[in-house]
Amino acid sequence: MGGAHRPGPFATGLAWAVALYLLLPISIIIPVSLTDQRFLSLPVEALSLRHYGTVVSSPEWLDAIWQSFWIAVASTLLAVVAGTLCAIGCWRISRRSTDLVRALMLLPLIIPSIVYAVGLYRYFAKLDLLDRFLGVTLAHGVTGIPYVVITVSTALAAFDPRLEQAARSMGAGLAQTLRWVILPRIMPGIVSGAIFAFIHSWDELVIVLFIASRDVFTLPRRIWNGINENLDPAMAAVAVLLVIFTVLLLLLDQLLRKRRP
Amino acid sequence: MSTAGHALGLRGITRRYGNFTAVEDVSLSVGSGEFLTLLGPSGSGKTTILMCIAGFVAPSEGAILLDGRDITGLPPERRNFGMVFQGYALFPHMTVAENVAFPLRVRKLGAAEREAKVRAALDLVQLTRFADRRPAQLSGGQQQRVALARALVFDPSLLLLDEPLSALDKKLRAELQEELKALHRRVGRTFVNVTHDQEEALSLSDRVAILNHGRLVQEGPPAALYERPRTRFVADFLGKSNFLQGTVRQAAQGRFSITIGNTQLVQALPAGAAEPAVGALALLSLRPEKIGLLDDTASADNVVKGRIVTWSYAGAGYTVTVHTADLGSLQVTLPTWRAPIAPAEGLPLRLGWSADASVPVEEDAA
Repeated sequence: MGGAHRPGPFATGLAWAVALYLLLPISIIIPVSLTDQRFLSLPVEALSLRHYGTVVSSPEWLDAIWQSFWIAVASTLLAVVAGTLCAIGCWRISRRSTDLVRALMLLPLIIPSIVYAVGLYRYFAKLDLLDRFLGVTLAHGVTGIPYVVITVSTALAAFDPRLEQAARSMGAGLAQTLRWVILPRIMPGIVSGAIFAFIHSWDELVIVLFIASRDVFTLPRRIWNGINENLDPAMAAVAVLLVIFTVLLLLLDQLLRKRRP
Repeated sequence: MSTAGHALGLRGITRRYGNFTAVEDVSLSVGSGEFLTLLGPSGSGKTTILMCIAGFVAPSEGAILLDGRDITGLPPERRNFGMVFQGYALFPHMTVAENVAFPLRVRKLGAAEREAKVRAALDLVQLTRFADRRPAQLSGGQQQRVALARALVFDPSLLLLDEPLSALDKKLRAELQEELKALHRRVGRTFVNVTHDQEEALSLSDRVAILNHGRLVQEGPPAALYERPRTRFVADFLGKSNFLQGTVRQAAQGRFSITIGNTQLVQALPAGAAEPAVGALALLSLRPEKIGLLDDTASADNVVKGRIVTWSYAGAGYTVTVHTADLGSLQVTLPTWRAPIAPAEGLPLRLGWSADASVPVEEDAA
């Protein structure tokens, strides 16, 4: 980077303005979560951790956190298995038709999630999957597939196809080649996809609003309700915890990417 | 690793890609324990043939036989052929020992047996010290030896080499050529090598098959190909050659003569060659090192006069281009050690060669 042109003051200023614009709405919840008041507001007299206490001791919030967590874990599993297999299949066959399949797999990203949610609602009603753990997991898992397909396809693009030929020339069948050669090489891509799929499910609201009502109550849903019903600052505390958790996951992803040779 | 090598046969192998024919009707047989090299320029189909043998490319027509058994339909993982890939294709996420152990792990060998075989294979290529390194921590030559060990550790019926030395610098290449040759002698296996490097082909192989435009042009032991090229392409591709084309004037007693302009040349008829018809066109290949420098009194079967156009010093010899009245430009190599002349542009020379120095060759089919 030593030989690169240094950005001028205008470009630097613009970059900072954009960064602040992105960060401010997130950072405003931090002081709000530390308010000493009993409603959603900035701290008046002192900073207080009482709302964090409320969250940790409230069975409702804890239940929502655990529900969200297990749904995210299960749907990530689904997205990773399906997305990885799809990406590997497309890569191995590699025809014009597989490009189409790959494009189709990105549809959940492209279609507005509210449209998707309406469609799911109609199908899930018939399949008796509304307001079920399985239903939300399926919905989140399927909409998480694009993230995995993208990251795994990227990893595969950098995979030397001669490694696969080498494995086969030494007698390895498809399963052995997959397990010992292809998967270890594309593991960073799979982990990246898993992290994105997890975050996707973890903070997904629109679909949940449509296909869950009482039994399945995820964290974003709980926050949504909190804003609509009572302006409890505990919500801000939850939001901060959510942000911290997400940032940790992204840092983990960065760390894993750096370790890739 | 003492079981004998296996014999490989190609019967009329053809491979088409749409309208393009990459390999056309190639038949070859490789004897047990033989070192065969497929030699040709890029696009000659040599790698496609190797990929057919390995099983990664299915021939459009023809059959591949191993010890007489048809293996054309067998997938690569069931052929039991070792292969050294261009660029080696070592597994970057495994150590050297794990790389070499891979084919044994695939075959579900016990840990003790696996370890012993890996050690023996690494001994064979003198890399025991590097067993725990990753491929990225090795030099190109060392990686190449790991690839060899990995391809030989499971007692393959055949070892296939795809331009195994092309990624190495010249000096290392020469060293590894020697090693590869010694290795072949030690393991006694059948090797099939692919290269575009004619020097490598000549020095390594028991037999060379020369390919051009997907067809087998000529095959035989290196010396036979060099001394008796069948066509202009072979003479040109394998070493350097001057080409002399003239009209046949006379043919008798194992010799014939041709005229090119006002120059008459005498050509010995090689053993087994048919006498050419008088009046027909004949093409002769004449190697630059077989042309001698004559002083004013010396004589030879063929003598021409000319002047040096360009010359260059190449260590062991001078490469000299001599312009002659009837034969055009002739490439001549002269030894530099105690050279009879000091080359200079415009210097007049008398050149001579014997009737058996040159060989008649065919023009290549279009």
